[in-house]
Amino acid sequence: MKKIDPTFTTVKKTVCPFCSFGCELGVVFDEFGVKGVEYIKEGSSEGRLCPRGSAAALYLNHPKRLSMPMKNGKVLEWSKLIKDLKKIIGAPKNVAVTFDRNITIEEYESIISFCNKTGIENIASTYFEPEIFLKKFLNKPFSLDEIDNAQMIIVLGDPFSQAPMISKALINWKLRDRKNRLVVIDTINSHTAGFANDFLKGTVGTEPILLFSLAQENIGNIDIPAITNIAESKITEISKSFKQAENGLIIVSLPFAHTYDPLLLTQGLVKLSTFSNKKVVPLVEFAGFEGNQYFGSIMSLVKKKKIKHLINFGELFPFYYAQVAKNLKALNIYSTSTIKYNGYTTIPAALNLEKEGTILTNFGKKKLDGNIKPPSGAKTISEILALFQEMSGKGKRLDMPELKINIKERAKKLVEKCTTPKTKKKKIFKLIGEKIAYNFLGFFEKEILKLNLHDAKELGIKQNDIISIKSKHGSIELAAKLTKDVEKGIVSIPAETPEVKSLFDFDIDNNIINFIPTEVEIWRRG
Amino acid sequence: MAKRIVLDLDLCCGCRSCEAACKAAYKGEARIRHGEIAGEAYLPLACKHCKDPLCVAACPVDAIKRDDETGLVIRSSLICIGCQSCAYACPFGVIDAPLVRHVSQKCNLCNDREDGPRCVAACSSGALQFLTEEEIEKHEIGMRMVSKNAFFRRKA
Repeated sequence: MKKIDPTFTTVKKTVCPFCSFGCELGVVFDEFGVKGVEYIKEGSSEGRLCPRGSAAALYLNHPKRLSMPMKNGKVLEWSKLIKDLKKIIGAPKNVAVTFDRNITIEEYESIISFCNKTGIENIASTYFEPEIFLKKFLNKPFSLDEIDNAQMIIVLGDPFSQAPMISKALINWKLRDRKNRLVVIDTINSHTAGFANDFLKGTVGTEPILLFSLAQENIGNIDIPAITNIAESKITEISKSFKQAENGLIIVSLPFAHTYDPLLLTQGLVKLSTFSNKKVVPLVEFAGFEGNQYFGSIMSLVKKKKIKHLINFGELFPFYYAQVAKNLKALNIYSTSTIKYNGYTTIPAALNLEKEGTILTNFGKKKLDGNIKPPSGAKTISEILALFQEMSGKGKRLDMPELKINIKERAKKLVEKCTTPKTKKKKIFKLIGEKIAYNFLGFFEKEILKLNLHDAKELGIKQNDIISIKSKHGSIELAAKLTKDVEKGIVSIPAETPEVKSLFDFDIDNNIINFIPTEVEIWRRG
Repeated sequence: MAKRIVLDLDLCCGCRSCEAACKAAYKGEARIRHGEIAGEAYLPLACKHCKDPLCVAACPVDAIKRDDETGLVIRSSLICIGCQSCAYACPFGVIDAPLVRHVSQKCNLCNDREDGPRCVAACSSGALQFLTEEEIEKHEIGMRMVSKNAFFRRKA
């Protein structure tokens, strides 16, 4: 075989930034720049990468890569940007600082130092959904051997979609010994569910109730089989077996907009983990950091006109969603970004692939060598903060306010949400999201809407018909996939792009933003 | 010893990492296709590098040739005129008919890479393997689940 010419080709090792799994990968450079991705066998995923990891190199020299600060589509000089920012932070009470997963531990500490020295008190993570709570389970590093050693595993959601690198361990574990038992809790048929010994296909949004039932926890007077559609004897049997299993795991890979109450769901996981003495392994999009308050608090302060400026360290994407953008309209937003975006003032930043520092993953802390240089003009967050010389340094980690809940009260409310009667005049569907690694940023085909065969027949919709889907936030058109995977009255969509995510309702409960199953109308175009 | 990409249907989890790895390496042109068997199992398909390839026979300009030494069936981008004859001739349907850049997309087993095809390296479940003919004969592939019960996966 033809060999790679070492004179021109180098492979620089880094860590994939797209989920908490943190797979090692190599970026191949030739004499013309970034050539592609190489697979590092010594890594935690043994060189295997999901579609997002395989496409990582495309982001390094993306045609839309930002290389200069921009304001309303026009180039802004660095000196002018820093001058503007210094003026803003002169009145720190009007300012909020946010950040996402795309920062290293060292960058996080620099940001906190910056906030401490400038007197900025409104600091939040841009985490949405239940992931902000699931992150706390990352404290115990995970190893794939734990799957091999387990006798019983309970999976919430579909890990093959979120972090497919887990599939090899899980499938081989399942095939190796007939006694190994896999229980899947989900609302739609997934590939993981297809492998399961027991598939607890609950009603949409009832996952927390199932978790409490498995933990044999009293959550009040709730008719569990009626609300979840799962027999009580089945739940009791699984619960006993799981407790008795010597080794076991609870793997959580929650799809988008599936749960009405992330706090209750997290409590359910804590209870099941304590009851069974088994570890929770969260597969999350982000493994980042917390501020001193939730993002919802920032939105409330914006509404009260107490915050005028927001400085975001991380990707801009949380602000792409129409529902969020609407709430932040009054804000003057400065954000680091890797790609061009005209809506706000953007500051060209390095990708995690290009940074030096430490990041959090499912496997513990990992080092980034920083041997891949960002494009000319883009800076790391530490470099940007160094421009405010007197404010750089090392700040201490912040603690989020602990949220205490009344489990019985919330469970009762959840039951009401899950059993909302449908109006008879119009056919209303419940839209839920799916996480599918290969649909990342539309790398493959456009999204499809999964629709139950019987519902499709009623509405006269055929396979691949273009259909319109409308929620109170907006509407989009896409192709229909008729399937038995979703139940009657439910439609499902891979929620990866802002256009799709903008269809969903969100709740702000305890200042946490949570995307929820959403009522939609659908019809065939034309 | 000539090596081939082999798929273990039991292990494929349908993540499409193989297709993404190929697409990322070859300027957006994936040479491995990801299909489904009646919604029951996933079936990534790449060129088999046949011993007597029909695509070679069909090519009017001899753009596709078989290297007898390595067993590789290679298409030349320079000579290919984009007539799609190979796409129609291939009995496995692994050469896509709608041509990108007006040349056919044809798997070359990543012969620019020492460690073999990228799709095999990326495969998240280990379903794709790169084996010699001898190894293929010794290997029990897809014998545990799918071949015994095609409906195993979607029993829910």
